[in-house]
Amino acid sequence: MLYFFISLAGQYLVKNDKRDRALLRRIVAKEPQALGELYDHYNKLLFGLILSILKKRTEAEDLLQEVFTLIWEKAYQFDAQSGSGYTWICTIARNKAIDRLRSKVYKEQKKQSSSLDDDDVHITLYSTERNPLEDTILNERAAKVTQAMKQLSDKQRQVIQVAYFEGKSQSEISEELDVPLGTIKTRMRDAMIKLRTLLADEAE
Amino acid sequence: MSEAENRFEEYCAASVLGALSAQEEQEFAIMLENATETQILFHNEMKEIAAELALGVSPEAPSRSVRDELMAMAWASIERKKQATIFSIPVSRFSIAASFVLLLTSLGLFFYSQGLTDDLESKDALISEQTSRIELLETEVERKEALLTILEARDVDLILMDGLDVNPEGYGKVVWDKSNGRALLQVANLPEIPTTRDYQLWFILDNQPISAGVFAVRDSERDDFFTIENLANDANQGAFAVSLEPSGGSQQPTGDIFMLGAMN
Repeated sequence: MLYFFISLAGQYLVKNDKRDRALLRRIVAKEPQALGELYDHYNKLLFGLILSILKKRTEAEDLLQEVFTLIWEKAYQFDAQSGSGYTWICTIARNKAIDRLRSKVYKEQKKQSSSLDDDDVHITLYSTERNPLEDTILNERAAKVTQAMKQLSDKQRQVIQVAYFEGKSQSEISEELDVPLGTIKTRMRDAMIKLRTLLADEAE
Repeated sequence: MSEAENRFEEYCAASVLGALSAQEEQEFAIMLENATETQILFHNEMKEIAAELALGVSPEAPSRSVRDELMAMAWASIERKKQATIFSIPVSRFSIAASFVLLLTSLGLFFYSQGLTDDLESKDALISEQTSRIELLETEVERKEALLTILEARDVDLILMDGLDVNPEGYGKVVWDKSNGRALLQVANLPEIPTTRDYQLWFILDNQPISAGVFAVRDSERDDFFTIENLANDANQGAFAVSLEPSGGSQQPTGDIFMLGAMN
């Protein structure tokens, strides 16, 4: 039953996914126009994601280019059986951003240059307003994700946000929040399962 | 829910959020290898949910230069690939041509070596033939030298033999150097004999035959010359005769007498 709801949820993105898969196939065939189209669809979304993690525009733009370069070179590694094109692209962007965030070089740079007065520094809070994405389907889905996040408990939302946008491990979150590790694990699991249910309900 | 299932879900949720330690990620990778279909489905769903979290972030527009540089990179890589392809065509053609030349060269060398082998075999046969001829000639020369030595002797007896009833066309001549105990035998028109038989020359003195040696005639069309050693005798009379005997000769004449001639 739950799988049925998830399937319904997935239908929101089916149209986009077909388009994304087609674009990725063309990228594998080395069509620069396809890379341009994929970039046009996702640059704002991915840049917002990367910026929310790295906080600095120049770093985020540099990484955004690195992400799409990786997509250009490694599109053949996309496995349609294990998820949608969007999930693959988004996972690459998020993982790359977290890797950059965790790198010693980046930490050093950040320590030396970070300042609230710096124009380059971008302070992102998780959006609670309507998502201004141009893509209608993504826009609707974004609103549903925002809504689902709001339905999590504050504690659940906190562990999700810290893990996802700050790249912290469960142990680090446990230490930072001074909450037992087992509790963090349970909160994280419950939060993700609740999100799955909420997004499936939204799809219904 | 079992402890293992609960643990899998906890690891799964943390993994898609990147919140596992390196050691936990390794443990989770092992879990995934042995995961049930339901667990794999759960993992895929968690990945989708994690990816959708990005939708909650406020989108931002990067500067135009990012797209420009990205597209420049993509087009440049296409150009590099084209150049690599263009370069690879001559290389592939060169490889084909080189293979063809190598094949032709190999075939040429093969046939050349075959020719050399045939030529070598032919030369070997010729050398063998020439060697036999040389040996034959050397033997002939030795024989001729021996004959000349006999003929050069100052005191020789000449005994002529005529064919008898068995072989009236037969003819023979003995040049005998009695002082050195050697003689030269010349025969003509003697019939060829099988290998199981030999002609035997006899010196007959006082009706007693003394064997002077055996010989064989293999070609009746030509005259044959033979040297006879150890025929020392100072007799001034007697006769020479040729009989047909078993191979190797006999103590006494046992076969037909083919030729006979007396000393004068």
